[in-house]
Amino acid sequence: MVVKVKDLVKRYRDILALDHLSFSINEGEVFGLLGPNGSGKTTAINCILSLLKYDRGEIWIFGQPMRPDAYDIKRNIGIVMQNIAVYNELTAYQNIDYFCGLYVKDKNQRKKLVNEAIEFVGLGEFTKFYPRKLSGGLLRRLNIACGIAHKPKLIILDEPTVAVDPQSRNKILEGILELNKQGATIIYTSHYMDEVEQICSRILIIDKGREIATGTKDELKAMISLGEKITVESYSITEKQISAIKKLPGITSVDYKNNALIIKSGKGTNNLETVLDFIRKENIHFGRIYSEMPTLNDVFLEITGKELRD
Amino acid sequence: MQVFKLCIKVINKNKYLLLVYVVIFLVISFTLSLTAVREMETSTSFKPAKTEIALINEENTPLINGFRAELAKVATFVDIPDETEALQDALYFRQVSCIIRIPQGFTEKFMNGENVQLGKISIPNSIRNVYIDLCIDKYFNTARLYVQNMNGITQQELVQYLKKDLYDTTSVEMIAKGEKTSVTNLNYFFNLFAYPMLSIIILGMSTLMLIFNDKDLKMRNSCSPISSTNISMQFVLGNLTFTFVSWLIMVLSCLLLNFKSIFDFNTVFLVISSFVFAFCCSGISFLIGNLVKSKDAITAVNNVVTLGMCFISGVFVPQEAIGSSVLKIASFMPTYWYVKANNTIAKLTRFTLDTVKPVLYDFLIIIAFGLAFFSVSLAIRKKYRSYT
Repeated sequence: MVVKVKDLVKRYRDILALDHLSFSINEGEVFGLLGPNGSGKTTAINCILSLLKYDRGEIWIFGQPMRPDAYDIKRNIGIVMQNIAVYNELTAYQNIDYFCGLYVKDKNQRKKLVNEAIEFVGLGEFTKFYPRKLSGGLLRRLNIACGIAHKPKLIILDEPTVAVDPQSRNKILEGILELNKQGATIIYTSHYMDEVEQICSRILIIDKGREIATGTKDELKAMISLGEKITVESYSITEKQISAIKKLPGITSVDYKNNALIIKSGKGTNNLETVLDFIRKENIHFGRIYSEMPTLNDVFLEITGKELRD
Repeated sequence: MQVFKLCIKVINKNKYLLLVYVVIFLVISFTLSLTAVREMETSTSFKPAKTEIALINEENTPLINGFRAELAKVATFVDIPDETEALQDALYFRQVSCIIRIPQGFTEKFMNGENVQLGKISIPNSIRNVYIDLCIDKYFNTARLYVQNMNGITQQELVQYLKKDLYDTTSVEMIAKGEKTSVTNLNYFFNLFAYPMLSIIILGMSTLMLIFNDKDLKMRNSCSPISSTNISMQFVLGNLTFTFVSWLIMVLSCLLLNFKSIFDFNTVFLVISSFVFAFCCSGISFLIGNLVKSKDAITAVNNVVTLGMCFISGVFVPQEAIGSSVLKIASFMPTYWYVKANNTIAKLTRFTLDTVKPVLYDFLIIIAFGLAFFSVSLAIRKKYRSYT
């Protein structure tokens, strides 16, 4: 087990930021910490890194208790902060070299690692650029390079794709999977459920500092009753027709707003055909009709009663 | 030593900005100090000046001619008609500071040993006439000695003796020398040095502190396997290196421009004094850098702190010219003790433990100030460390 967090409690005066949070991360996992803004993801990460004192609980990393002076543990951790933490007075190369130098003393080894990190994040053309000259995406990549250059066993990425263009975002996500392939255990926090779904092997959903659910994406989706969501874009559906749809077999809920009829059904039933038959029979005019499988947002919505992005 | 190296790199990146400050401050300091020293030289150095007098001579004898020649060394004769109104006007309009009248028969009576008097009218309480009085007394008192002791001495012989006697001077060697102009010049410069030194160190160090106190970077550094104490120590070392280099540049520039007095003991002590003060400056800067969070605020605080401290401590104006109550307040600031130490050093002519003791005492106070500033800064840093 790489990380074990047990019964973690953290208060900011009257606000309970972490409420008896417990989880564990196995070696080689890409562990996702998913939750809306202010749910306690960054607080949990800061506690794990001993950047914050916590009121209660225990944290073990690589089987040893984590403390502010646990330098042997810190040596094997790479951190990519939510806010970009680089020196504007140093070039991209100098920044990576500085942060790598905090972990690796040998100059030759460091040079090799820095070059590998530059190549890994694709900053080869920008090594002499100062951070102010880099775009948002490149800056994020530099931030990542600074965190992973020393080849740590555990990499913590705290919302590394915030305000990043799609191209850089894909590059970052691919990079994370590559690091995982090379043997690193990853903790990835985000409020973008599609990212977490895309790269994480196991996901912990938290809200208000509490664990909502943990598991693989399939396990999480299996926890909820929703099996399929059908959306019909139409402006001519009557109340009578809505009531009739609700009575169709397998349908659990129907909601009509903004000219979109959202029909939710339970698992294991093929409802799209039933809905299409009803629409044809009732001669309802529609623009588009499509079916979606449940997402992590649906999981969050069903458990907490609110959307992830609320 | 990653953090130390980083400090050097950051300073190196900002070197031109800091050098601009060094150059501007040095130019201003040199101009001000040279102007002030020039004024000081003209007000304190001695140059004999001649006084305008009127000499109304009613007889023409060798004794009186000798007297006139002697008087010419300290006076300039102004021709004024021998009329009461003209003489009174000359005195009233300060054309002359005194009028001397040698009456008819003066020489004969004097050579016979009789009691005679010169007529003298002068501007009341005129200091310039002291020289004239001294000259008259010296000439005729010496002449009387010859007349009384050498019977039958002729006027020509008497004048010859007087010329010889009054020409003789005694050389006097001052064991306790007065203030040397070169040292006074350096003293003034080193006093003024407090202002640029304080400003540059506050600006430079605070720039470093702003970077290092950035919350995200601090947190990022805290994640590394280097203890926060180690990081702080490397940072302090970086700051002290910056202070030392700034001090060295400024002191060397100062000594190069005052190279005549480089090997004086006074200069050595002034350099030590500036070094001690530089250490204290870095303590002040460290504290300001820990308290102030933006670059604009640093500029404002820098101006208030440096100008405030320098004005009331006697950096720009001599301490003698500052009121005692102001000096009492100033004594709570290191600049006061720095200026006091410099002034004491400038007056030193002998360097023994006893004479140097007051200076060492001032140095200790400045060092204590520096240590206090560093301690408070480190306490603040510890309090606000990210692990809260």
